[in-house]
Amino acid sequence: MGLFAPWFLAAAAAVGIPIYLHLLRRRTTTPRPFSSLMFFEPRTQSSIRHRRLRYLLLLSLRMALLVLLALAFANPFIRRPAARTPSGSLLLLVIDDSFSMRAGTRMSDAKREAMAVLSSRRSSAPVQIMALDAQLHQLTPRTRDSATLRAAIDSVQAGDSRSSFAELARAVRLVSDEAHASVELHFVSDMQRSSMSATFAEMAFPATVTLVLHPVATAATPNWTVESVTAPGQLWGPAKDARPAHVQAVVAGYATPAAARTASLIVNGKTIASKEVRLAPDGRATVEFPSLDVPYGVSRCEVRIDSADAFPNDDGYLFAVRRSDPQNVLFVHAVSDARSLRYFGDALRSAAESAYVLQSASVEQMPALSFSKYGFIVLSNLFGLPASLEAGLLANVKSGGSVLIALGTSASRGRVPIFDQTIRGVHDYARGSPRGREPFVSVGDTDRSHASVGRTGSLSGVKFFYAVDVDPGDAHVVARLTDGTPLLLDKKVGEGRVMLLTSGLENLTNDFPLHPAFVAFVEQTARYLSGAERPASARIVDSSFDLRTAREPEGAQRLGVEVVDPDGHRPLSLTEAATAQALRLTRAGFYQIRLANGREDIVGVNPDRRESNLDVLPQDVQALWRGSPTPVESTAVLAAGNAPPESEPVSVWWYIMLIALVAALSESWLASRYLGTRREDT
Amino acid sequence: MQRFLDPDVLTSTSDLQLIARTIVDGFVAGLHRSPDFGFSQEFAEYRAYSPGDDLRHVDWNVFARTERTYLKRYRGETNTLLTVLLDASQSMEYASHAISKMDYARYIAASLFYLAIHGQRDAAGLIVFDDEVRNYIRPSTRQGQLARLMSGLEQAEPRARTDFSKPMHHFQEFLKRRGLVVIVSDFFESPEQLVRTIEPLRFHGNEVVLFQVLDPQEIAPTFRDAAVLVDLETRQQMEVTPDYARQEYRAKMDAHIADLRARTRGAGLDYFLLPTDRPLDAALREYLTIRHKKN
Repeated sequence: MGLFAPWFLAAAAAVGIPIYLHLLRRRTTTPRPFSSLMFFEPRTQSSIRHRRLRYLLLLSLRMALLVLLALAFANPFIRRPAARTPSGSLLLLVIDDSFSMRAGTRMSDAKREAMAVLSSRRSSAPVQIMALDAQLHQLTPRTRDSATLRAAIDSVQAGDSRSSFAELARAVRLVSDEAHASVELHFVSDMQRSSMSATFAEMAFPATVTLVLHPVATAATPNWTVESVTAPGQLWGPAKDARPAHVQAVVAGYATPAAARTASLIVNGKTIASKEVRLAPDGRATVEFPSLDVPYGVSRCEVRIDSADAFPNDDGYLFAVRRSDPQNVLFVHAVSDARSLRYFGDALRSAAESAYVLQSASVEQMPALSFSKYGFIVLSNLFGLPASLEAGLLANVKSGGSVLIALGTSASRGRVPIFDQTIRGVHDYARGSPRGREPFVSVGDTDRSHASVGRTGSLSGVKFFYAVDVDPGDAHVVARLTDGTPLLLDKKVGEGRVMLLTSGLENLTNDFPLHPAFVAFVEQTARYLSGAERPASARIVDSSFDLRTAREPEGAQRLGVEVVDPDGHRPLSLTEAATAQALRLTRAGFYQIRLANGREDIVGVNPDRRESNLDVLPQDVQALWRGSPTPVESTAVLAAGNAPPESEPVSVWWYIMLIALVAALSESWLASRYLGTRREDT
Repeated sequence: MQRFLDPDVLTSTSDLQLIARTIVDGFVAGLHRSPDFGFSQEFAEYRAYSPGDDLRHVDWNVFARTERTYLKRYRGETNTLLTVLLDASQSMEYASHAISKMDYARYIAASLFYLAIHGQRDAAGLIVFDDEVRNYIRPSTRQGQLARLMSGLEQAEPRARTDFSKPMHHFQEFLKRRGLVVIVSDFFESPEQLVRTIEPLRFHGNEVVLFQVLDPQEIAPTFRDAAVLVDLETRQQMEVTPDYARQEYRAKMDAHIADLRARTRGAGLDYFLLPTDRPLDAALREYLTIRHKKN
């Protein structure tokens, strides 16, 4: 028991007032005349004793009243076990169901601990059960029904997501605000150190939340895992013609001794290679499989180790590899322009891993070609296209084809064919620049969000000697020169797309082909225009997968996507399948996805490898998080299954005031009797 | 009429003679009998002569025949001299309601005087005493006697304490003629001592009547709480408890009254208890009725 405002106890000195009134100024009884006392016997002793007794009672009541008032103002409190939730508050029971809870018996221990918390609660307190992984999931509404609560606890299964204590704090803050009451948070978890946020402030709870931790793990558990795999997501053409694809995997050990592990590469359920890898204590090692031979189509691949630890769920790393024929690219150029074909073709071959087969043609050869079989078409240094040819290309673009136009030095005035924008002029920086100025300009603003230049690196070192100033109109300017001249434009025409480079692809109008960024530019532009942007072969649980690509025609927004999760279920409803832009990958395994553009894909999804580090939050950190300066013997709590030893002060001034009220009423009644006696006497 | 005989009502009237007339007239009207009730000239008895008897009442015819001296007595002659001894001690001042014992005693005495002088034309006198004789009005039938008696009653203010023994020898001097002696007091004294003191009056042929005037609170006190009581005569203080007043005091008072009644009757004295809340006419009627039966 303690006092919130002990200085008010000084007012208890006021008890001297009734003592003074009763003892020092003892009231004199007015004598009552009587005719004769001959029949009275002096019963003074008993009479006085009776009076004193009652006066002492009155004195005691008055003193008690003053002391109680002083005590009430001092606001006394008693310490009550925190588990004894006061009525009006919410007991929030959160069970960690992250991927690491699959290790050993953590989940069963967590359920048992949750049941113990449920048993020790007061029946009057409402309880809500939630599960925590990357988000806080509500399992039950606020209820007092034990059957519902126990069923909810039984239904909790460890998932594949990564837990986040910061997310827990954020969600509980919202719950606390909605509840408008104090929240007693019981968190049953393996207290994984990797679940902590970067800053402790993100994990802090408001004052209305009392955190009680129920760790189900007390020490780090040795665990080996395949931390990451680097493998191509797409292979082009027959394996014999392609360059060999290799797979690189990183095997990691957490709290492990030095050991040798065998890593195996599994393709479509068949082990095609195995290698032994030696790991230092708590170390990492890289194992490389030089040849990844997968058939046409999408193959389900996995790198797996024989960990022989208590957490086998993270021993494999899934990824998918697609093998398909390379796409054809038509490169049309002027007869006098051979450099652009050479630079573009080399860049395309070196970067795209045989993903494209470049075909060159002259303007004269074009009418005999079928444009639809090409992934995209490059028009280099061509300006005066025949009308029929331009119409054919435009029709191809409107039906979904793509064209890259490099103006070079051929254009000077008029309108750009297919792109359909006027030319405002020509900037020949090498010849027309004033004396004293550099004979070139560099790239100014660049839209890095655009797929064609997103990963090219800096283009500031590229010198442009010649550029055509084209009115961008409604086209998207991807890059501008330092003088503001549009350099790269992107325009949607019909269902297709046209990109315009206002300079050339050779090394005459600029030195872009001589820079490494040119290769990346060509590769990304090729992927962008051909629609061959394949996502990475492996994803992390809780990452997002785009169901509708940027190249997808607008009409396709109404087309449904189809997703089959690793369990064979369709996680999207019909409405979601028609409208969802992205899918959150919540389960580990292979997702089968049919995108809105009709392409089908398989994505290997792996749990976040930070979950494989089973190291536990130190006791002092847990105590700090709880807000208690002294560490709690969590293991004892775990073993006992009783209410945690934390206590909270509960003010009892209201009860003191009730007792004071009773004392005041008693004093009034007793005093009125005495005053009545005095009136009768007088 | 009865309403005016309530003692509390009578206290609103300061004219003692008017009070006495009201009491007596009311009481007489209630009797439905002759106003000469109890005071006729009818022969009553012969009684042997004793020294001091009036020689005029000697039946000389009997003496001539028998040479013995007898007095011929008539009913009207038995109470021809009324003397009221009024206790004016401080204890008589006690009052728990509107009328004090002293006032009640005054009314009784005034009524008796009025009845004797106006109804019977007897001599009436007054002795006011406490521990001494404070006032003495000789019995007389002279004109203005009633007024003098009333004045004596009005002037009788309670003082000192009661002591029958000291003024008793003065009573002997004053009561040389036999008659009716009425003692009005609260008689807070030992009955044995009291009777022993008063009894000699009876030996002189007086008929002695004791009117004990008590307040209802003296007979049955009701205290709600313990109280400090002050004796009006001795100024002694004493704390008493309600339980004692309710049980032991009441028993003692009842025993005192019973003892006093028994001893007075044993000594040939008449005794009447007059609580001050009792209507005065009822008290007088009872007294006269009993006297009529005795005569």
